[in-house]
Amino acid sequence: MDNTVVVSAPPHVKSRRTTRGIMLDVVIALIPCAVAGIVYFGALALMLELVAVAFCVATEFVYFFIQNKGFSNKCRNAKAVCRRWVRQFDFTSVITGLILALIVPVSVKWYEIAIGGIFAVALVKMFFGGTGKNLVNPAATARIFMFLSFSVTMAKYSFPDFANIDFGYLSSGATNLSSLLGKNPETTLTALDLFLGTGVKGCIGETCKVAIIAGYIYLCVRKVLKWWQPLLFTAVFGFTAVLMSGFAFEGGYKFDISLFLPHILSGGVLFAGVFMFPDYVTSPKCTKAQLVYYIIGAVLLAVLRYFTRLETASFVILIMNLFVPLIDKYVRPVPFGYRNSERPKEGK
Amino acid sequence: MKAVKGKYYFGGVHPRGMKYLSKDAPIEVMPAPETIAVSLSQSLGKPAKPVVETGQEVAEGEIIARADGIISSDVFSSICGVVTDIKDVKGACGTDEKFIFIKANGKDDKFSFPPLSDPSPEEIKDRIKQAGIVGLGGAGFPSAVKVCPHSRVDTLIVNGAECEPYLTCDHRLMLERTDEIAEGARYIAKALNVADIKIGIEANKPDCIKAFEKYSDIQPVILRKKYPTGGEKQLIYIVTGRKVGVGRLPADVGVAVFNVATCFAVYEAVKFGKPLYERTLTVSGKAVKQQKNLLVKVGTSVKDIVDYCGGENSAPKKVIQGGPMTGVALADYAIYTHKTTSGILLMTDTEASADEPTPCLNCGKCADVCPMHLMPMNTAFYSSAGDMESAVKYGKTASCIECGTCEYICPAKRPLIQAIRKTKAYLINKITPQAESLRTPDQKGRSAPAVPPSVKNGKKEENNG
Repeated sequence: MDNTVVVSAPPHVKSRRTTRGIMLDVVIALIPCAVAGIVYFGALALMLELVAVAFCVATEFVYFFIQNKGFSNKCRNAKAVCRRWVRQFDFTSVITGLILALIVPVSVKWYEIAIGGIFAVALVKMFFGGTGKNLVNPAATARIFMFLSFSVTMAKYSFPDFANIDFGYLSSGATNLSSLLGKNPETTLTALDLFLGTGVKGCIGETCKVAIIAGYIYLCVRKVLKWWQPLLFTAVFGFTAVLMSGFAFEGGYKFDISLFLPHILSGGVLFAGVFMFPDYVTSPKCTKAQLVYYIIGAVLLAVLRYFTRLETASFVILIMNLFVPLIDKYVRPVPFGYRNSERPKEGK
Repeated sequence: MKAVKGKYYFGGVHPRGMKYLSKDAPIEVMPAPETIAVSLSQSLGKPAKPVVETGQEVAEGEIIARADGIISSDVFSSICGVVTDIKDVKGACGTDEKFIFIKANGKDDKFSFPPLSDPSPEEIKDRIKQAGIVGLGGAGFPSAVKVCPHSRVDTLIVNGAECEPYLTCDHRLMLERTDEIAEGARYIAKALNVADIKIGIEANKPDCIKAFEKYSDIQPVILRKKYPTGGEKQLIYIVTGRKVGVGRLPADVGVAVFNVATCFAVYEAVKFGKPLYERTLTVSGKAVKQQKNLLVKVGTSVKDIVDYCGGENSAPKKVIQGGPMTGVALADYAIYTHKTTSGILLMTDTEASADEPTPCLNCGKCADVCPMHLMPMNTAFYSSAGDMESAVKYGKTASCIECGTCEYICPAKRPLIQAIRKTKAYLINKITPQAESLRTPDQKGRSAPAVPPSVKNGKKEENNG
């Protein structure tokens, strides 16, 4: 035996899954959405995606460089810092940039999304300690930041004048709903149109639900995502939204289940459910707590959407992220063989 | 009896089995080495007290150290020779253990107890104690204590799961010594006065399941191929559906669990009066020339075993005593096998993991796979910050069985088991005065390996041996 054996605590074999691999899987799952955005919104969408990713990665690099250069004994020179950055690079900043580009309308200026990207990575992620330490979803927070800072371009959805069909129709009651479902000849939007994203105007990556579902299937196959999470989220959201929209009908409350599909297919519900709510870092740790998180999040989204008539997914993500430590504290798994009558003494 | 399927339990992982390396190698008797060093800490509890002196001649199977207290076991010489030294040497865990060194003198004297034909339950219990039999699955709990349970036992479960990757010695034993294991299980059942004998075998050993179907009094149970199916509490749940509470013993739910190798040792002790001084173990891993299943004398050095298997194939990355999920990484070959050593693994670069830990993502995979339904990430988080109370409260560390599934699945390669052991060491120091009295300086390393003060912020300790 030469001097190269490693001594460490067990286990000595580990799964091949790494953080970098998982994050790369998420990037791959986002590619259909990015491509669909380019198809529907043109080269401008590609430009925004590239700018967002570039600025997010660059911000992370600059932050890492400033943090390490000169302060750490290991990294006296710039080359060593760069090498170290490459070694620790997981694709989290790429994901942040890509998601941010996919949840803004195409009318956003390039410098606006660049500022958004810098905000997301520097303020939301790196200031809290980098990968795994951020309290809230960087992309969702940056979207809110952009929404408040550049409200003119953020609210102007490029082609038609609405991002979310439901606040278009719900405000005026049942007639527009039927038009949405193809009964009114003036607007030809059907649930299928919403599903494919043809003719629907909204954010770059959120319009084409087929692409989102393709990403969802990929993530499930790669076991990055628990398959039930987006399903539970969209189902709970859809039913709550149907229940709430019953109040919008003229002449009393009416429960109309046919609104289920238009509700879940409009706006950013699916995108948020697949790519933003299940974000590892900002969602609860155990299955039980995740159930609570998804149900409360979906109900909150449906209720807020009904009352504000705005695209509220990112606000709901932010609110729910802030509740995660609380959920984690009170909703914990019961250890195997641990009965309430026989609580073990645990040095308390 | 026809095999039945076991219950499903949540949690667990599917590591690469790697059993093909050695599962077709029949058990080979390794010739007695020139010198052996028998540790006095062969079981949980206090180390045994030596009853021989330097220069004394001992026969093979002669007692050299007597049990000290209830949770302790007698130790026997595994070769015929002369005691050359009794001294403290660094054991596998890096802590000092007392060893008795014996050098072969060329004679072939053998000592054994009188064989028992048609023994009574009391005789079997006495013999298990005399023969120094301990649980050979890895924990090393003295079997003599297990066969005298404090509450009524109605089921005997023979543990043939062998869910650890690489290890195949129990597999071979079940194939080659089927009748002996069944007979040993019957002896234990007689001592415990139970009629219901079940043997749990993982589904990846269909030949063993078939072999045990021929007995009318033994019920084979097929276990799903999953790690840690062979964990005591998991096995009891799978086979009987009973849950062993935290801090409870299997006897509390009326179950006794014995490993197949232990059953075989009981058979030999009762039938032929042979004390426990040799056992089967697997030598595997891609860095060793010939992967083998060996019958090895207790106290043989790892170096002798590796040399017998043709030496190193390539430079090993890790040398492990035991299985890859729970075993101890060795720093050098001057380590001597115990009664509980079930394998010697020489792992190459591609097999053994020595990845740098990256930041925790809170992905919750460790909580998902934990067979005890704990929160390992909380233990790791709080203990690295020094807040042990919170680590215990939110991680529920006290129930941890240290199976290693959490660290296996962790995509960030966090050293979770190390953090859990650190927290457990704190717990042992703090809340259990009985445990404190059981612990002697020699035992510290075995019950809860101490974490050196240099390990901070969850950084992985990597010594170059």
